[in-house]
Amino acid sequence: MNEIPLIFFLWVGAFLFATGLSIILIKRNVIFVLMGVELMLNAANLNLIAFSRGDEQNQGLMMGLFVLVIGVCEMSIALAIILQVYRRFKKIDIDQFQSRN
Amino acid sequence: MNSPLMIGFLALTMLTCGSAFFMLWTKNVLHAALAMFMTMLGLAGFYVLAFADVMAVSHLMIYVGGVLILILFGIMMTGQRTSKTGEMNELFTEQKGRFWSFTIGITVFLGLSWLLEQQHFYTFADIDQHSKLGQVGLSFMLEYSFPFELTGIFLLIALVGATYIAKNHE
Repeated sequence: MNEIPLIFFLWVGAFLFATGLSIILIKRNVIFVLMGVELMLNAANLNLIAFSRGDEQNQGLMMGLFVLVIGVCEMSIALAIILQVYRRFKKIDIDQFQSRN
Repeated sequence: MNSPLMIGFLALTMLTCGSAFFMLWTKNVLHAALAMFMTMLGLAGFYVLAFADVMAVSHLMIYVGGVLILILFGIMMTGQRTSKTGEMNELFTEQKGRFWSFTIGITVFLGLSWLLEQQHFYTFADIDQHSKLGQVGLSFMLEYSFPFELTGIFLLIALVGATYIAKNHE
């Protein structure tokens, strides 16, 4: 059969997840961090889709569609909050927030 | 191994992983947004190769049409400072702790790959290569009708809340 083995999809998912994690750790811009979160979300979603190939009930596919919608909700609210933070502090670096201990 | 499917998969892997790595490498937020666009295109291609056409189309519409536009607006409205070289349109992002982030990233990737190779996943014997649009639509109306409605309400609430939060309160 000329089908792609499952492990290839999982490798790509692992790479995207690791890249997203590195982006979250490295960058100081909040929008950049948000993009890293999106990358990790999509890596998980790719695994769901890859596992649901050939499933007659399409369970992974349905779960993936719901994850997509929830990801959009998260993104829109996060960007609104970032906009409000920028209005108040004129800056969106992660390092600017420090607790008084 | 030399099937056209496999060649397409390798090309998509190069596109997706290359642009994801470029997102990690670059310091320009705008370049990263464009690289994210390429990553999302590659991911939609992966969904097509996994015979999930519904997912591919909705992913393209939502991410390229919606989320990316949102991110571009976010970048546009939160412009912070001009660059160090003095050019107008260079959006410069600071980075910190490069070494540890790369180390953690590489460790996570190698660890996950090792872990996934150890497993013996149960795979379905015959993979249905036809379109799943009808099945998905029926599932949305039959056994997933309650989560479907719930997601709709959730999306509505989230979008109304986002517009309320983003409004100028002064």
